[in-house]
Amino acid sequence: MSKTILIVDDSFSLRQTLAIALRGAGYTVEEAVDGKDALSKLDGRKYNLIISDVNMPNMDGISFVKAAKGLPTYKFTPIIMLTTEGDEKKKQEGRDAGVRAWVVKPFQPPALLDAVAKLVMP
Amino acid sequence: MDLSAARDALVQESRELIAAMEAALLEMESEGPSLERVNAVFRTAHTIKGSAGLFALDLIVSFTHVMENVLDRVRNDSLPLTPDMLSTLLRSGDYLSRLIDAVEAGLENEDPDPAHRESLLASLNQMLGNEPEAKEAASTSLQTTEAPVERDDNSAKVSNKNWHLSLRFGPDVLRMGMDPMSFIHYLGRLGRIVYLYTITDHIPSASEFDPESCYLGFEIDLLADVDKQTLENVFEFVRDDAKVRILPPRARVADYIAMIDAQPESRQRLGDILVAGGTLTQHELEEVLALQAGSAEAGQGTPRLGELLIQEQMVQAPVVAAALSKQRQGEERRNHEQRVIKVEASKLDSLINLVGELVIASAGARLLADRSKNAVLSEALGEVGGLVEQIRDRALNLRMIPIGEVFQRFPRVVRDVSQELGKKIDLIITGADTELDKSMVEKLSDPLLHIVRNAIDHGIDSMDEREAAGKPSTGQVRLNAYHESGCIVIEIGDDGRGLDTARIRAKAIERGMIAPDAALTDAEIHQLIFAPGFSTAAEVTNLSGRGVGMDVVKRSLEQLRGEIEITSQKGVGTTFRIRLPLTLAIIDGFQVSVADSVFVIPLDMVVECADMTASAGAQRIINLRGDPLPYLRLREIFDLPAAPAGMRESLVVVEYGHHRAGLVVDRLLGEFQAVIKPLGQLFRGVKGLGGSTILGDGSVALILDVPTLVAVSNERNEHTGSGNRLLSN
Repeated sequence: MSKTILIVDDSFSLRQTLAIALRGAGYTVEEAVDGKDALSKLDGRKYNLIISDVNMPNMDGISFVKAAKGLPTYKFTPIIMLTTEGDEKKKQEGRDAGVRAWVVKPFQPPALLDAVAKLVMP
Repeated sequence: MDLSAARDALVQESRELIAAMEAALLEMESEGPSLERVNAVFRTAHTIKGSAGLFALDLIVSFTHVMENVLDRVRNDSLPLTPDMLSTLLRSGDYLSRLIDAVEAGLENEDPDPAHRESLLASLNQMLGNEPEAKEAASTSLQTTEAPVERDDNSAKVSNKNWHLSLRFGPDVLRMGMDPMSFIHYLGRLGRIVYLYTITDHIPSASEFDPESCYLGFEIDLLADVDKQTLENVFEFVRDDAKVRILPPRARVADYIAMIDAQPESRQRLGDILVAGGTLTQHELEEVLALQAGSAEAGQGTPRLGELLIQEQMVQAPVVAAALSKQRQGEERRNHEQRVIKVEASKLDSLINLVGELVIASAGARLLADRSKNAVLSEALGEVGGLVEQIRDRALNLRMIPIGEVFQRFPRVVRDVSQELGKKIDLIITGADTELDKSMVEKLSDPLLHIVRNAIDHGIDSMDEREAAGKPSTGQVRLNAYHESGCIVIEIGDDGRGLDTARIRAKAIERGMIAPDAALTDAEIHQLIFAPGFSTAAEVTNLSGRGVGMDVVKRSLEQLRGEIEITSQKGVGTTFRIRLPLTLAIIDGFQVSVADSVFVIPLDMVVECADMTASAGAQRIINLRGDPLPYLRLREIFDLPAAPAGMRESLVVVEYGHHRAGLVVDRLLGEFQAVIKPLGQLFRGVKGLGGSTILGDGSVALILDVPTLVAVSNERNEHTGSGNRLLSN
C-alpha cells in the first residue's frame, strides 16, 4: 500500500506540480487549499505525511499544524513546511509547534522528493 | 603525512590522555571525587576508545569500552565511586599504557598480559553487574545488551571503506513526526548498510518507559561513495533532536589528510581548514564552537577546538593533527614572512657585488649613449639608471640591521661595571631599531663598549659627589641612535661631572701635546682626549686604564669613515656623538686625475678645492689664505710621469680628524658615486691607496687612503727637517 501525502497550499499550480512529482515517485496524494480545508480532511483519514504552506487564507499553516498535532491520529505524523528564505519568525513559531522539516521556496521538485524520502518510507 | 605518522600521533595522544586520567584518579583518591574529575576520566577513556577504533585496535577499544561503561555509571550517580574502583581504574590505566606500548612497537594485536586483562575486566564487569536497583526490572534486557554492546564496538570500528555513523535519537523525535527508521531507510538510498547495531542502553525500566519517547541509538556502517556533507544532510531534519556523529572511512582519513596538506598556506583557523578539507561540515563546526563557548561561559575554561572535535568524535585525531600541523605551517611561514628571512651573508655580499657591477655597467652604458648623441637611447638608459639606483639602495638596505643588536649587550655591561664601581646607574636605550650596515655593527661593538665604560668610570660622579651636587644618586647613561642625512648618529651620554677642560689642558701641556700658550676652544680641548696615551683619571682604574685609550676608539671609528665629537658641560654631563656613513660598500667620491690616472677621494674628507699657486718648494707648505697647509703631490707619491711644463694644477684640501693636508692633482673631475672594490693582491702593500672602483667607461680608479696620506705628509715634513708638524685646525 503506497503512502498517502496531504498537500496543503493555496496555490493551485504548486499543488499540481507537487502532486505530479509525488505521484510519479509512487505516493498517493491528496490536496487541501488552506488550513481549514486541510483540517477537515484529516478527519477520519490517515496521512503518512503532510506538506503545508505557511501563509494561507482562512487558516494559516502554523495554526493548522498546531491543530493537527492536537489530534491523536496525527500526533506523530511528519510535517514538511514550505517557507520562504529568512522568515525566521515563522520558522520559530513552527518549531515551537513541532515542525522540524523545512523546505525553502522556491525549490525544485527533486529537493522536495528528497525531503519526503527522509521522512517516510515508500 | 601518512597513516604511520597518524599512528604515532595516536600513541602520543593516548599517553598524554592516560597520564591525565591517572592524575585525575589520584586527585580523586586524595581529595575525593567530583563530577568534573569523573567526567575528565570518562572523557579520556572515551577519546582513547574513539581514536583506537580508527586503527582497529580492538584490544584497546574493547577494554576502554568497559572502563567507559563503568565511568558512565559513576557519572550518572548510579554507581558509587569506591576506593577499590579507583585502584582498579588506576591499574586499568597501567594496562592501557602497556597496550599503547605494544601499538608503538607494532604489536597492536598482541595482548601483553592476557591474564591481567581478564582480571581487570572481571573486576570492572563485576562493578557493572553490581549496579543497584533499576536492574531488577531491566535486568534481562541489560544482560542481553551488555555482550552485544561490546560486539558493537568491536565491529563499529571504522573499517577501510565504510563510513561509520553514530546516531543517538533524542526522546522527542517521534513527537516531531520523525521516524528513525525512515532516515535509516534513506541511508540505504545512498549506499549499502553493511552493519547496524541498535543501542538500547537508554531504554528505561518498564515503569518509566514512555511509549511516545524515543530511546534508540544506532551504530551504522555504511558503504557509500558520498561526502560527509551529503550524509549530514540526511539528518538535517533531526539536527535539533538527535546527536549525529559521522566518521569517514579509514581510507578517507588519508584522503582528508592529503586534502588538508594540499590547501594553500594562509591564515586559517583550525575549523576552517577542516571544513575546507571536507572533514568537518559547517554545521558541525558551529555546533562544536557553541559547545566551546558554552564551556567557557560555564567557567570551565575554553577547551581547545581540536580536543573538542576529537572528544565529540566529529573528526578523527589524525585528521585534527594534520590540520593543526597545516595551521602551524601557515603560521610559521607567515611569521617568517613578517619577521626575518635568514640569508647567508655570502649570498648578500655576492648580490651587492653584482649590484655594484650593475651600477658601473649602467654608468658605462649611459656614457656611451651620451656620446652617441642618440637622445632616445640616452633617455631609455636614463630610466634604466634610475631603476639601477633604486636596486642599489634596496640591495644595500638588505645588509642593514638594527643597532639594537649592539645595544642589547649594554644592560649587562652597565650592571656589571656599575656594581664593580659601587655606582647606581640607569641605562636608557633609545633608537635601538635604527639600522646600519651589518659589517659596521660588528666593528662598532668594541668602541661603544669602551666609551660606555669610560662614561660609567670617569663620567658618572660618585654617589657622594652627586648628592653634594644636588643630583639624583642614581646616574644615567643614555644610548641613542638615529639617522641624519645619510649618516647614522650614535650618542652615548651621561649626566656625570662633565669633562674638566682645565685638567685636560694641563695634562696636554704636561705631555707636550700643545703649547702652554695655545689658544684652544673647549671643543678643541675635548678632542685632546682622543690623542694617544692621554688619560686624565687621577687613579687608573681597572676598567678604563687599560692602555686602550680613546685614541684607539677614535681610530677604529675612523676606519669606518666615522667621526666622533664631544659636547660636555661641567657638572651636567658629557655626550659623545658618533657619526658614521650608513654603508661601507658605496661612497660618494670626488674624482681627480693625475696624468692618465684617475683617483677618487672620499667626498666627506674633501674640505675645498683651490688653484695650486705655489711652485714646488722643499718644504711642501703652501700658504692658503694666510694659513700654512702641508701638501703632497700625488704625482710624486705614485711615481707618475711628469706634467708638461706650465700646466695648471689644482689643490684638494682634505681633512682627517683635525688635521688638514693638501693634495696636488692635475684636474678636478667632480663627484662620483663609487662602488668600493678591494685592491688586488699586488696593490695591498701600496701606501696611500684604500681601494679601487670602476668608472663608467670601464677603467679603474684608485680610492685614496686619506688618513695614510696625511700621515705620510706629516712624516715627510718632519723628515725634511722643517720641524713643522701638521697643524691643528
